Amino acid sequence: MRQPYVTAMLVIGVLFAGALFAASVARQRLPDDHQAYAPQQPIAFSHRLHADELQMNCQYCHSIASESRHAGIPAGDVCIRCHKFVTAPFDEMHAEARRADEEKRQPKPVVSAELKKLYEAMALDAEMKPIAGSEPRAIRWVRVHNLPDFVYFDHRAHVAAGVTCQYCHGPVESMQQMEQFSNLSMGWCVNCHRDAAEHGVQGKPANPSLNCSACHY
Amino acid sequence: MNPQEQINSKQYWRSAAERNGHVEQPPLPGVTRRDFLEAAGFALSLATLSGCDRAPVQYALPLANQPEGVRPARMRYFASTCGGCAAGCGLLAGVRDGRPLKMEGMPEHPLSRGGLCAVGQAQTLGLYDSHRLKGPLKDGKNTTWKEVDDQVAAELRDLAQAGGAVRVVTSTITSPTLQQAIDRFLKQFADGRHVVFDPVSASAILDSHEQTHGIRVLPRYLLDKAKFIVSLDADFLGAWIAPVEFTAAWKKWRELPRQASRNDHAEGVPTEEHAKPEVDMSYHVQFEPRMTLTGSNADRRIRLRPDEFGLVLSHLLQLVAKHAGKDIAADQLAEPPVAPAELQAIADGLWQHRGKSLVLCGVNDVEVQVLVNHLNHLLDNYGPTLDVQHPSRQRQSDDRAVEQLVTDLKADQVAAILSVGVDLTYNLPPDAALHDAIKRVPLKISLAERHDDFSKRARYVCPDHHPLESWLDAEPVAGLFSIRQPMINPMGNTRSALESFAAWSGNQIQPLDVLRAYWRDNIFPRQQEVTDFTRFWDRAVHDGFVQIATATTTLVFQKDTAKLVSQAAPLDGLFLLLYSKVAIPDSRHAHNPWLQELPDPVTKVTWDNYAAVSPALARKQGLVDNDVVRLSVDEGNAIELPVHVQPGQHDQVVGVALGYGVPGTDRFAAIGPQWIQSRPTVGENSLVGVNAAPLVKLADGSMQYVRSGVRLEKTGRRHTLATTQLHDSIEVPASTRPPGSHGRGVLVQETTLNEYRGNPSAGAPKEHPFADQLWSDDHPYPGHRWGMVIDLNACTGCSACLIACQSENNVPVVGRDEVHRHREMHWIRLDRYYSGSESEPDVIHQPMMCQHCANAPCETVCPVLATVHSNEGLNQQVYNRCVGTRYCANNCPYKVRRFNWFNYAHDDTLENMALNPDVTVRVRGIMEKCSMCVQRIQEGRIESRRLGQSLADGSIQTACQQSCPAGAILFGDLNDPESRVAQAMNDARRFRVLEELNVQPAVAYLRKVRNATKEEQGV
Repeated sequence: MRQPYVTAMLVIGVLFAGALFAASVARQRLPDDHQAYAPQQPIAFSHRLHADELQMNCQYCHSIASESRHAGIPAGDVCIRCHKFVTAPFDEMHAEARRADEEKRQPKPVVSAELKKLYEAMALDAEMKPIAGSEPRAIRWVRVHNLPDFVYFDHRAHVAAGVTCQYCHGPVESMQQMEQFSNLSMGWCVNCHRDAAEHGVQGKPANPSLNCSACHY
Repeated sequence: MNPQEQINSKQYWRSAAERNGHVEQPPLPGVTRRDFLEAAGFALSLATLSGCDRAPVQYALPLANQPEGVRPARMRYFASTCGGCAAGCGLLAGVRDGRPLKMEGMPEHPLSRGGLCAVGQAQTLGLYDSHRLKGPLKDGKNTTWKEVDDQVAAELRDLAQAGGAVRVVTSTITSPTLQQAIDRFLKQFADGRHVVFDPVSASAILDSHEQTHGIRVLPRYLLDKAKFIVSLDADFLGAWIAPVEFTAAWKKWRELPRQASRNDHAEGVPTEEHAKPEVDMSYHVQFEPRMTLTGSNADRRIRLRPDEFGLVLSHLLQLVAKHAGKDIAADQLAEPPVAPAELQAIADGLWQHRGKSLVLCGVNDVEVQVLVNHLNHLLDNYGPTLDVQHPSRQRQSDDRAVEQLVTDLKADQVAAILSVGVDLTYNLPPDAALHDAIKRVPLKISLAERHDDFSKRARYVCPDHHPLESWLDAEPVAGLFSIRQPMINPMGNTRSALESFAAWSGNQIQPLDVLRAYWRDNIFPRQQEVTDFTRFWDRAVHDGFVQIATATTTLVFQKDTAKLVSQAAPLDGLFLLLYSKVAIPDSRHAHNPWLQELPDPVTKVTWDNYAAVSPALARKQGLVDNDVVRLSVDEGNAIELPVHVQPGQHDQVVGVALGYGVPGTDRFAAIGPQWIQSRPTVGENSLVGVNAAPLVKLADGSMQYVRSGVRLEKTGRRHTLATTQLHDSIEVPASTRPPGSHGRGVLVQETTLNEYRGNPSAGAPKEHPFADQLWSDDHPYPGHRWGMVIDLNACTGCSACLIACQSENNVPVVGRDEVHRHREMHWIRLDRYYSGSESEPDVIHQPMMCQHCANAPCETVCPVLATVHSNEGLNQQVYNRCVGTRYCANNCPYKVRRFNWFNYAHDDTLENMALNPDVTVRVRGIMEKCSMCVQRIQEGRIESRRLGQSLADGSIQTACQQSCPAGAILFGDLNDPESRVAQAMNDARRFRVLEELNVQPAVAYLRKVRNATKEEQGV
């Protein structure tokens, strides 16, 4: 009568192994179109704050978009242009200034936790002076929009044709954390190219290519 | 038979075996059912496993501080000077995201005029070579620069006090600044000397001018001024001195005006109204023992034994002297080895074109070169076609000094030896006494980039930068100063030779400062145009070169009596001829896999050197291709090499290339895919090829590359050369031909100048009218229609385009064994056809790549639509759709599709830096082929849209077109009637390959026109 026990043990073993396998698979992200992918970034940069509240133009920071294949994540020195002066949220800086005024002293520098990471990366001290012996290093942003290696998308062509950033990237100005809005699949690209061939882009005639080699080479 | 049909009936063949009808087919692999199932099982499980990859998180790292003008993913071009050899061609180095990626020719450069050879373009791979030395070594161990400098300085101080002899051995140095640094370094010692040693030396030309003009100088050859060229074994289009410069100049008299075909005239416009354009071409005679690239392009090629040059020149000199009214006293000259009437004709031609002719000679024999100088002097060529006022500095080697150095070394007279840019011991005949003597030299320093033969014997190795990492200058011809600027920070802890010599002369100074100081003090004052040095310097760096008038001194021909060579050595034996190949000019390039895998333009052999023998000699000795033979010359140095049967070679000559069997090339043992049946890329000596330097003789003040009395013995072994000669045959084999058909029509077309003068369409085969079109004409080309025209009259077959394509399109290297299996991946195949007799064939070169057919046979058979037509006339290959059925390759009549049998991309992360990010790296199991550089088309189009301009003709250049030294390739929009390519398409010389198939290729060729009579062509 040992047979049923053995069978049961085996079944349990297989189930257990299956569960382990499922658990390990569940932790992995299987290949898909990555729509709504919104990874944690090394610095909690808010597009909502910059693009919506502060009404900054996209190409103020992503200035490469009109000149290169890539829109480009801005170099650290682009951030520093403003954040040399703005070291913390306005409220905190304002509160400190008022306190200092009341206590009749120089305001202390207020540096927010997130911006501190930027200054560290750029090897700047609290007074925005380069730290001796320390080299600025790149910030390791997590890439959100990622096409397969056999696809070549060019921002220049689309910016020149008058396609708005939001058309593909969605309402970035409302995103606290950047996420992939469109699915970036080939069908999605081709539909837009077909549509633009017929109706143009924002009323302007466009000449989008429907050749395979427009993107694949 | 009318003459036109005669030419078309010419039979073309590609190897001696093919001509005689016994082509050895490679045996089919003996795969058993078990093997197959095993492999299939593995493949299935591997495919499953590799499919289970998680999508990785990717990062994007912007620069911390972005320099002005740097835009990510945009290529920037910097003017510089090529460091591949001493020719000093202009370079436009494409740098993207801080990485030098693509080397291109500089169109404004007065020497190279926009071309760049295979070697120059392959530099990028040399830069990203993980085998380069990463820092200074002492006794083979890593050390620091400070330590090296301190110790070397101390040793040198002692040397200077003891009065020891210091020798700096370099290859030709065209950089005036480096020359000054070496001179300053040597000035510290009582007996300091600079020895210039080129492995393939042109010392005899310089020495002969010392005799005839009183100055040791290499004249600048102005081939663009020469209309009658007689070349004696000077491979000036292939590997001699400055091939790109010479090709660009030679091509000037190969250009023919655009002429509409007769058929077009018939359509309304009467012929008389067309002013006939001037049609003129140079005449080029080549005397040579082996088949060189230059000989294959000559109008008349005459086989000559290497010892007969003197005799032929003496006859020519006598004949020309008779014209000049001078009598050159001569004893009875022996009968010339060439028909007297032919010699007379050549002498007459030279005399008629005096001042517009040129006699060139590549033989390293002073006696012969003096005759050449006499001949050029009698023909008034000094001045018009030979510039000695602005001499070339591209070859400066002094064989007498090298011989003296060897003598001094053996006599223990040398206390310190430094080598720069040349491997002293590899390139000299190995000699136990010399090696022992070198062992005894107290101070040995090598500045080699990689471990070479000498650096292994050297106490200190102080690696120099790669040319793309360093500041330097060059003066390739007098008065032309060019700048080499760094494209990337040094990748290792290397140091420029300029800095090393400065350091050892007591100055710690940066190379840029040395360079600027030299230019400020020596070059800037020689011009008046710019008064501010900073402006002068900035302009020079921006343009890459400056031209400065040099003080001209009149050189007088000082020697009026010529010593004629009355007799050739009456030998029946064999001669050995050592030469350098087009792709491997010297041993330093042997580490470059692109160059190793480049099929030789004439023999089409990759990855090896070989003993080239003529078909007659092979028959006489009972040799066939790939038989290993033992070659030995009197004193016992012997090498063993496989045989390659080469049509057109002299029957008493064995040709062997130098620059192979280089220490360190054992690294290529496993370069191809490693699988069950793979065989190593190296030979029995575990190196690539065999070093032929043991057969060079250094005696009587010259490096002798011609040896008489060679013994050739069969060893009985075989070594299969990987040759692409018969790969991808377009010819339909007789067994598979439909009954009654004659196989393919003519693939290449040619005519003669006289025929062409009478009828610009001469040489065309009968037209094939297509009454029935199988395809409906429903594919309009509304916008652009890309097309290409290749002028076979300009194309020399130099294969620069092939490396350009490889660099631009991430074409992988597959290794010797895979090439042997017909699996080379080059998108361009340089087809080389012979015609005529085996002993004296005519040669024609034809670049063959995807023809982008309008009715493409590949497109109709693809089951997954991975290859489709674009509405701009391109045949597109969509890698991500391809499943690898290979139907398309089977159905391609041009056999230009390449299949990825393996994942050729490998894990050498440094080498992968040379990959072009704009082109997909193809994986195993998919098909690829020429895309007409569609990434460049896209870039050009998008950039013009961004700037709101229309696409100008010539603003998009394919990689092959950009670098072609002869400018033989035109690319552009056929829908634009004003474009150069559209006009070339209407030329009378235009033909398409396999036009009778009605596939309507977008690539067309212009017929070759030979400046030769039909008798000479052997029709």
